[in-house]
Order: sequence, then structure tokens, then C-alpha cells
Amino acid sequence: MSSLPSQAEARLAPRAAPRAFQRALQPWMRAIVGVGGVLVFLVVWQIVGSQDLIRSDLISYPTEVLRSLYAMVASGELWANLSVTLQEFVLGFFPAIVLGVALGLAFALSRRLLYLFDPLFAALYTAPMIAFVPVLVVWFGVGLVSKAVMVFLSAFIPIVINTRTGVEEVPEAPIRALKAFGASRWQIIAKGLLPGALPAIMAGLRLAVGRSIVSLVAAEMYVSVRGIGRLVQVYSTSDRAAEIFVLVLVISSLGFLGVVLIRRIEAYVAPWSAAR
Amino acid sequence: MSKIHIDDETLRPAPRRSNDRVEEIGLGVLGVVLLVGGWEYAAYAGWLNPVIVSSPSAIAQAFARQWQSGDLMKDLGISLAEFAIGFSLSLVVGLALGVAMGMSRWVEYAADPFIWFLYASPLIAFYPLIIVWLGFGSTTVIALTFLLTFVTIAVNTMAGVRSVDPQLIRAVRAFGGSRLDVVAKVVLPASVPLVLAGVRIGLGRALIGVILGEMFSSNGGLGYHISFYGAHLKTADLFVPLTTVVVIGVVMTRICAVFERRFLAWRN
Repeated sequence: MSSLPSQAEARLAPRAAPRAFQRALQPWMRAIVGVGGVLVFLVVWQIVGSQDLIRSDLISYPTEVLRSLYAMVASGELWANLSVTLQEFVLGFFPAIVLGVALGLAFALSRRLLYLFDPLFAALYTAPMIAFVPVLVVWFGVGLVSKAVMVFLSAFIPIVINTRTGVEEVPEAPIRALKAFGASRWQIIAKGLLPGALPAIMAGLRLAVGRSIVSLVAAEMYVSVRGIGRLVQVYSTSDRAAEIFVLVLVISSLGFLGVVLIRRIEAYVAPWSAAR
Repeated sequence: MSKIHIDDETLRPAPRRSNDRVEEIGLGVLGVVLLVGGWEYAAYAGWLNPVIVSSPSAIAQAFARQWQSGDLMKDLGISLAEFAIGFSLSLVVGLALGVAMGMSRWVEYAADPFIWFLYASPLIAFYPLIIVWLGFGSTTVIALTFLLTFVTIAVNTMAGVRSVDPQLIRAVRAFGGSRLDVVAKVVLPASVPLVLAGVRIGLGRALIGVILGEMFSSNGGLGYHISFYGAHLKTADLFVPLTTVVVIGVVMTRICAVFERRFLAWRN
């Protein structure tokens, strides 16, 4: 083979350089354009807000939002309310996981049971859960319990439905194998059906986190003694846009952290599903 | 749990039999009857506080009352109008944005962070600001509905556009079709399945938007009265708009399923 470049290659060479540069940049394009867009937005927001081009008490501006965040953290106000919200979340979410997976499994194993409850679950699945906030407050009071129940209901239904679908979609072959080697009913459930359904269950949990946090905040906004949603109401009556942005950011991060955490747990307990 | 019927071979429910449909409907009705009957009996026997927990018969009376006074129909009209306007806006903007994002990476990259934020953040927390901008009432409710809904439709439309076979696009271009022809004759028809999935999820989110918006920032509609009767401890009255909302959700999902089946028939 000659070491000289062929004519065709030689002709391509000058144009290949910028193309290679473009290709090297390609994976970063999403980040560059995305961050750029957000920066432009923040700068415009900052200028419009801080110069009072539009009433700044209504739209605030980024540096004021940061200042408010700092003030709310420093005064302990944020944590005092956030801790209540987290408590309500945990109290509702963990029972929802346990009961949701159990009932989802039962639905997948017994068609009779499924038929019995299917219309009620289908109705609850499509209904906006927040519509139940007032009745839960009447039933369980204005405090922590009604919010925990709200979280439970919002999380429970997607978990049940995902667990059921997950169990139904476990392939038959490994279950037959377990059976052939003399596994008991409970062993088949514990070693075959539940691990097989784990990716679907985890997807259900991710869905449930988002749904239940929004329901929880809405419930706190409706009526509560303490919590992030309560703070939203407090600042809304005093037209404080900056603090409301802080609270929205806090709640969004909460949902984001929840989803990240579930992905981490998923990678640990079900590494075979992490690729999805 | 031990009573669960499990097929011995596969630990899976037995395959459908011909009388399954009868059993499904029968047991479904039984489930509802048990719930309503059990609740009514518990209230009748005095196990529950009638003022706080109410009972099916009290709710039926409240329903008759609200039906005759016209309150229910008025609420339903307000909510459905807000729903229709908010959802139509979302559909138009969501489709346009979704097609733009699907056809141009630049648009997608630039829009991505904002869409993610709208998707993940609890928009209802912004209602005080929206009220100041748009005023108390229907406009704010529609704005909230729109913000909650158009994102879902845009994201699904984008996925749908991306799923189009590029060969088809090249063929249309090769035969002299314009970019608009590509969008109208290839991209939109081929992305119908994913767009419909987006529409289905979007309908649910729009309903949430209407109810949330009405609960917090309006003085009419089903959501407003759910919140109003709750605040006045009128549990039986509360259940009338609440049940109506649940029924709307179920009916919408059913209609969507029919549409999806019809539109997707040609795919096989």
C-alpha cells in the first residue's frame, strides 16, 4: 500500500477538519444550547425584573430569588416547613409501597379479585387526586394525617397498576423452571414474580413520587398548619414573587431528588433493569 | 392471600374463558355495590359520624338538590368550557412545538430545560402570580390548564415525529414535495400513535389543571364547589361535584381508548 493519500482522500482532507470539530462538539450540543437558552432567559429576567420594566414584585428576578432562598434558609423557616412536608411524604409513601405492591401482586394472581376492584381502581386512576383534598381534610383533619393519606392515595394507585402489569409480564419459562425444581408458591412469588416485576415496580415508584409531591403541596395549600404548601399561601397573600419562586424550586428539586434516589436504588436492587 | 387462585402450572391466572366477560362485569358491579352498600350500612348503623363522613343516600339527595337548582349543570358548564379552551390551546401549541422540536435538534435543545421545568414543577404554586397577571377566575384556570397540558402533548409529538421512517421523508422530497408537504403528508400521519398517547395523558392533566385552578383561583365550577363545600363541612354536597369529576375522567379515558383503537387499526 502506498503511504501517499489517494486523490480522493486528499480532496476531502481540508473539509474533514471542520467536520471532525463539529462531530467532537456534537455530544455537547444539547448541553451548550440548553444552558445557553437558560442563561439568556435568566439574563433577560434579571434585567426586566431588576430594572422594574415590568412590576418586579410580580415577576421578581434571579438574584432576588437567590437572596430570598438564603434568607429563608438562614432564618430556619424553610427547614421548619420542609421537615413537616417530608414527614407527611414518608408517612404516606412507604405504606403505599408495601400495600401497593401487595395488592398489585394479588391482582395479577387472581382474576376474580381484579374484576371485583377494577372499576373502582380505574375510576381513581383517571380522576385528579387533588379533587379529594377537601374531603380528606374533612375526614382526617387539617394536620399531618390528611396529607399523609393524600400522599398514600396518589402513590398507591400507580404502584398497584404497575406492579400488576409487571407481574403479568414476567416470562413463563423461569416460573416453570422454579416450579419444576419444587419451589413453593411463596418461593415462586419471592424469587420469580417479584424480582421479574421489579423494573415495572420501580417505574411505578418514579411515577408515584411526582404525583404524590404535587398532591401533597396542593393539599397543604388548601389548608394546613405547616409545610411548603402552607408557605406558598402565606407569601401569596403578601404578593412576594421571589419567595414563591424559591418554594417552587424547592418542591421541584424534591421531586427530582426523589426520582434520582429511586434510580439509584433501582441500579442497586435490580441492576438488570438499569439500562432502561 | 391464601385464597388467591393460582394456576398450578404457571402461577398465572387461567386463560380467558367465554363466560369471563360476564364474570368481569358481575364482579365489577358487585365491588361497587359492596362499597356503596357497606358505606350506607355503616352510616345507618351509626358507626360513622353522618355530618363528617356522610352516606350514599345523603349524597343522592344532595345530587337531586343540586340537579334541580341547576347548580350542578352550571358548574359542569363552567368546568367543561374551561377544559375545552385550555385543552384546545394546548393541542395547537403542543402540536406545533412538538413538530418543531422533532424536526430541528436546535429547537429541541433550546426548549428542553424549560419543558423539563414545566413538567416537573408544581405549577399550582404559581397561581398567586397568575392571578395577579390574568385576574381571578376563568382566565387563570385556563392558563394553568394550558401550562400543565401542552408540555405532555409537545413531548409526545416530538417522539412521534422522531419515530417517522426517514426514507419516507426522503421519498417525498425526491418527488418534489415541500417541507410543508413532508409535515402534512408524512410526519403528522406517521406520528399519530404517539400523539394520541400524548393527547390521552394530556386530557388527564388538563382535568387536573381545571380542578386545581378552580379550587384555588375561581368562584365557579366543579373544583370551586368541591373546595367550597369542604370548607363549609357539607360532605354530602361535596361528593356531588367530586363524583362528577371522577365520572368525567372515566368517560374521557373510555372515549380516548375507542379513538386510539380506531386510529391504530391500520398499523397492523
